[in-house]
Amino acid sequence: MSDKIYEVFARKNHDGALVHVGSLNASDDELAKAYAWTMYDEENWVEMCVVPRDAVIRVTHDRKIPLWGN
Amino acid sequence: MPNNQDAKNGNAEKDLIDRIASGFVVESEEDMTAGYKKSLITQLMVQGDTELMSAPAYYLASKDAPTINSRIAVTAIIHDELGHANIAYRILEDLGVDKHWLVYGREPNQFKHPYGFDQPLEDWAEMVVANGFFDRAGITLLGDVLNNTSYGPLKRALVKVDREEILHLRHGESWMRRLAKAGGEAKDLLQRAVDWMFPMTLEWFGLPDGLKRHSGQLDYKLKGKTNDQLRQTWMEATVPLCEGIGIDVPAHYDDVAREFVLDYPFPCQYDPQEKRWDFDAPLSWDDVFQRWKARGPMNQRYTEMVQGDLGSIFGGRLW
Repeated sequence: MSDKIYEVFARKNHDGALVHVGSLNASDDELAKAYAWTMYDEENWVEMCVVPRDAVIRVTHDRKIPLWGN
Repeated sequence: MPNNQDAKNGNAEKDLIDRIASGFVVESEEDMTAGYKKSLITQLMVQGDTELMSAPAYYLASKDAPTINSRIAVTAIIHDELGHANIAYRILEDLGVDKHWLVYGREPNQFKHPYGFDQPLEDWAEMVVANGFFDRAGITLLGDVLNNTSYGPLKRALVKVDREEILHLRHGESWMRRLAKAGGEAKDLLQRAVDWMFPMTLEWFGLPDGLKRHSGQLDYKLKGKTNDQLRQTWMEATVPLCEGIGIDVPAHYDDVAREFVLDYPFPCQYDPQEKRWDFDAPLSWDDVFQRWKARGPMNQRYTEMVQGDLGSIFGGRLW
C-alpha cells in the first residue's frame, strides 16, 4: 500500500474537546486534509486536524489504546 | 482425543468468551483468538460490501429524483455510504486485509453484500423504499452492533455511521409518506416497490434461529440480537409505517403470539426479471443460498461501476 494512515481529530464546539473521529489512507498531507474534510463531514467542525499515525506516540503501554479503527 | 494445541486453543476461546461476557472490550489483535478474528473479519466484510454496493444502486436511481433537492439528498447519501464502506475497510486493513484488494481486487461474486443490492432500482418509488427499508435494515443491524459489539474500534466507528443512516432513513420514510399521500400512479408504484422489497429485506436477515448454525458472533458479542429478533425489530418499524399510509405488506402483528408474523411461506421463490415473489412456491434455505451465491442481475454492472476501468491508465493502480 503506497498510502499512509492518518488519524483524524476534530472539535465540535469551541468549548469542547478535540476528539478522535476516525482514520484514513492518503499518499500525502494535502490529500489527507482533503479526504478528512470530505469523509468526516458528519458535523460542522470548528477545528479538524490530521496526524500521521507514525507520529503518534503512545503514553499508555503499547497497543492497548489503539488509534486505529475509527 | 484432541491434541494439546487444540486443547490450548479451546481454552483460549473459552477464556475470551468468558471475559467478553463479563464486559471485556477487545482493543488490539493481541486480545483476539483466531476464532474471534475470523468472525470479526467476516462481519466487517459484509458490512463494508453492503455499504459499498448500495452506492452504484443509488447512483443509477438518483437520476429519477423528481426535484433538485431530492437529487442532492440521494447523492449525499451515496457519499455517506462510500464513507461507511471506507470505515469498515480501514478497520479490515488494520486486521491485515488489503483494502485495495477489497475494493479493486475481487470478482463481482466475491463481494458479501445481500442479494437485495444485486437488484436494479428502476424508479423513484424504488429508490425511496430502498432508503426506507434497506437503510432501516442497515440501522437495525448496525445499531445492534453499536450497542453490543465487544470490539472497541468498531463501536467508536459506528457512532458516525449510525448518525448518518438515520438521515437516509428519514429521507426514505418521508418520501414514502409523500408518494402515498399523492395517490394515483405514484402510490401504485410505491405499492409495487414495497411488494418486492419487503420480502427482499426480510430475507436479508438470514436463517431463522431454529435453523441457525452456530456462528460464534453472539458468543463473541460481535452482535447482540438473533436473526429472528432483528427481523422483528425491522418489522416493528416498517409494518406500522406502511399500514399508516395505506400500503399493504404481507405481515401483521399477532396479538396472541405478541410478535409480527408473515402472511406467506418464508422463504419462497423470487423472479428477479419480473421482480415478483411467488407465495405459492416455498423454498428451502439451501435453495435461497444458491440464489444468493449465483448473485442477482446487477452484480456485474454495480461492481464495474465501483471498480471503474481497471485497464485504463488510471485504473487498477496503487495510487
